[in-house]
Amino acid sequence: MEFSYEVKDSYAEVKADGRLNMVSAPKLREFVTDVIAGGSSRIVVNLENTAFMDSSGLGALIGCLKAARQAGGDLRIAAVQPQVKMVLELTSMDRVLNAYASADEAFGND
Amino acid sequence: MTEVLAERSFRGLAEAEAIESVHDELDGLWNDAPFVEAMDQMTFTTAVIESASNIVQHALPAEAQRPVELGVDISVRSTLLQARVSAFYAKPPLGQLEPGTPDEDSESGRGLALIEALVTTVTFERQDGTNIWILSKSPQA
Repeated sequence: MEFSYEVKDSYAEVKADGRLNMVSAPKLREFVTDVIAGGSSRIVVNLENTAFMDSSGLGALIGCLKAARQAGGDLRIAAVQPQVKMVLELTSMDRVLNAYASADEAFGND
Repeated sequence: MTEVLAERSFRGLAEAEAIESVHDELDGLWNDAPFVEAMDQMTFTTAVIESASNIVQHALPAEAQRPVELGVDISVRSTLLQARVSAFYAKPPLGQLEPGTPDEDSESGRGLALIEALVTTVTFERQDGTNIWILSKSPQA
């Protein structure tokens, strides 16, 4: 999995491309923690190219959400693909991790 | 039982990188069996990766000198997708085999419930020092 980020006007967009599994989950936590430490606590994780996520990956997203909120911000997800959507729905975590069609829309009304 | 139309196997040390290899085998399997519906491929892949990850994360070696090995054998029949996910040289599972109900902000504990939601049956066997989870799914008609 490859991570990248870009600081936009009102949020930082993190891209996570590949499989979000037990190998990459700790790396996502570390990556997002660094972005937050760099001063961006409003995070959008763009999952457009995340073809797969398991419960380890879901746990990492929840950890990142908590870290963003502790820093006074929030974490939202965007461009969720079918397998990721399925995992979010089966675990009912779609109620906690708000999914938006695109990264631009995630903080669009804030 | 009907004929096996495609099958793949993995065996190696139960460490994190093994999960990528198992996933590659699953991708190869679906290339060999494109007639399996995309939804079935997606749900079964997720269940197999969850089970294999559970072994990598939780299986403890029965003997200090011999590390746990992960084995995954997946077969496709017209009426059944089946995976045997094995922990070789492992102690019997200590923890509960029942799915938990973690809080919304919990970062773990969702794997077993997810597996049960994704496949038709999950059974557990212990044979000759090996823990074996058998995941079965009836494909969509």
